[in-house]
Amino acid sequence: MNRPVIEVQDATKTYQVSAGLFKGQLPLQAVNGVSLDVAKGSVLGLVGESGCGKSTLARLILGLEDLSGGQIVLDGQPLARLGRQAISRRVQPVFQDPYSSLNPRKSIGSIISLPLRALKIGRPADWPDQIDEIMAVVGLAPRLKHNYPNQLSGGQRQRVAIARALIMRPELVICDEPTSALDVSVQAQILNLLMKLRAELGLTYILISHNLSVVEHMATRVAVMYLGRIVEEAGAVELYRRPRHPYTQALLASALTPEPGLGLPETHLGVAYPNPIDPPPGCTFHPRCPKADRTCSTVPPPPTLEGGRLVECHHPEPL
Amino acid sequence: MTPVLEVSRLCVDLPLPAGMLHAVRDISFQVGQGETLSLVGESGCGKSLTALAVMNLLPQGARRTAATLRFSGLDLTRASEAEMSRIRGNQMAMIFQEPMTSLNPCYTIGDQLEEALREHRPVSRQQARERAIYLLEKVGITAAGSRLRQYPHQLSGGLRQRAMIAMGLMCGPSLIIADEPTTALDVTIQAQILSLLASLQREFEMALILITHDLGVVARVANRVAVMYCGQVVETGTVREVFEKPIHPYTQGLMDCIPVPGKTPPGQPLGSIPGLVPTPIGQLFGCSFRNRCPRASRACAASDPDLVELGPGRAYRCLLSPEACLGPARAEGR
Repeated sequence: MNRPVIEVQDATKTYQVSAGLFKGQLPLQAVNGVSLDVAKGSVLGLVGESGCGKSTLARLILGLEDLSGGQIVLDGQPLARLGRQAISRRVQPVFQDPYSSLNPRKSIGSIISLPLRALKIGRPADWPDQIDEIMAVVGLAPRLKHNYPNQLSGGQRQRVAIARALIMRPELVICDEPTSALDVSVQAQILNLLMKLRAELGLTYILISHNLSVVEHMATRVAVMYLGRIVEEAGAVELYRRPRHPYTQALLASALTPEPGLGLPETHLGVAYPNPIDPPPGCTFHPRCPKADRTCSTVPPPPTLEGGRLVECHHPEPL
Repeated sequence: MTPVLEVSRLCVDLPLPAGMLHAVRDISFQVGQGETLSLVGESGCGKSLTALAVMNLLPQGARRTAATLRFSGLDLTRASEAEMSRIRGNQMAMIFQEPMTSLNPCYTIGDQLEEALREHRPVSRQQARERAIYLLEKVGITAAGSRLRQYPHQLSGGLRQRAMIAMGLMCGPSLIIADEPTTALDVTIQAQILSLLASLQREFEMALILITHDLGVVARVANRVAVMYCGQVVETGTVREVFEKPIHPYTQGLMDCIPVPGKTPPGQPLGSIPGLVPTPIGQLFGCSFRNRCPRASRACAASDPDLVELGPGRAYRCLLSPEACLGPARAEGR
């Protein structure tokens, strides 16, 4: 395996949330002991229901939030010692909604070059050329440089967001739901662009998405998160072919692929995603799990590594 | 059997500063009892306005014309506003995408459900409450009695959408229009809500119009589908016909855009439709898809293609024959 671009070691993030009026504060463990390596050139898909901590993990890796415990190592150096500027040269985000992540009062050229200006990279005289170059890379016509975000379509805006991320020549791009706000035909254009850029520029992606078909198409490895923990991690092909954790199985079964005649899946998951302030004891998935027994409700399952696959379950599907 | 809703030649025009926006152009469809019709298309294709036009809830200034707009034997083109408000929420219910914005945050779930019934039926509070509890249990909400006293913000997204569905069912409607009912929900909850809708529809023999951009949802839930582009229906048929053998170049393009497990090789480029959806403003001529169509020729700009019937309920809107649509596209660019 290649050298990991980023190593997440037992990362924990705890927020203090209000428990109600006059009731003080309660800890919410958004990310609870996550360990991950992302190899250079790979695409790590991060999936899970809303509130499972995938976006918090992304913010931790971007250095936008401080860790409560554990550490994140970027290129052999702990993130905490690198400082914002050094991190932003290597890790850049592309967010979900291109309508709210671009400043409506700045021209496209100014939005794309902001990272260069903010970090004073290179000579100002070279910036216009760099803007033109990166706009060509992401497939934006150079004349759009002087336009404003409201004059662009959703797909074009997402290309601007990608250009802004790539102008720093980062190693790692964190794509947080990069196509959720886009139409189907535009989504395909953006996904194709991301794949092309990865091959041409040797990029590494962390792809956060609730669209399991998109993750299957793009990712080389997939990590499944549930209540702040990674409950299963494996190569994408293996994970989709034979999911081992009951949660992964339910998640994959509930994806609606465009195949008529298959009908709707019965996931047996029950209604409620648990309250993260008051997580269930033992395995946090046991109240929704069809395989749960007494051990599951008392003892948290230890992470087990088998054949390059990680799973956290007392009764995983055999390999 | 007469259809529950019959729409023919429906048009919606919206006056904009830039000119007249022809948002819905000449749409015809019908839905029968117990049947699910899906209107599918990208944003701005007019699918939501079609639904609003049926309910007469169009934005101010919008102009609606139709040859037929018949609901349970009633001519909606002649219905007064008072008649419409007797039908809406009564025989015809609507479920919207985001239940947080369509439920009133200031009233309890119980108040809102009871009002939905008492607005249309001369029943007592007690009777309305019993019906609310019955339906909340039907939509899979446990401890329904105590949920009635809760406010929308105290429920999760999935529960709110279930409550919305229960509210739509209060008067026992014969038609439900669901506009992107699961788009704001997680995949696991989406599957549950859609199964729930489907089973309720079977049980109460309602007609369902499902508006969505998600082809996966269409494939799994609907009986028939109308693919919309730029305010027009470009292809219609049963779900099986349209998904297994899409004829219109736009439908074919859409199908190629989504990765299908086992069919699309991972990591390989997806099919995509180049260009952008045009805005149907002003005088329109020719096929609206021609700028993005791999099979377009000069003839496509000259005449507006008609909807060509291939069989009962199966039609497409293209100048080319089905064989030409399905054959290899011209290799050279346009």
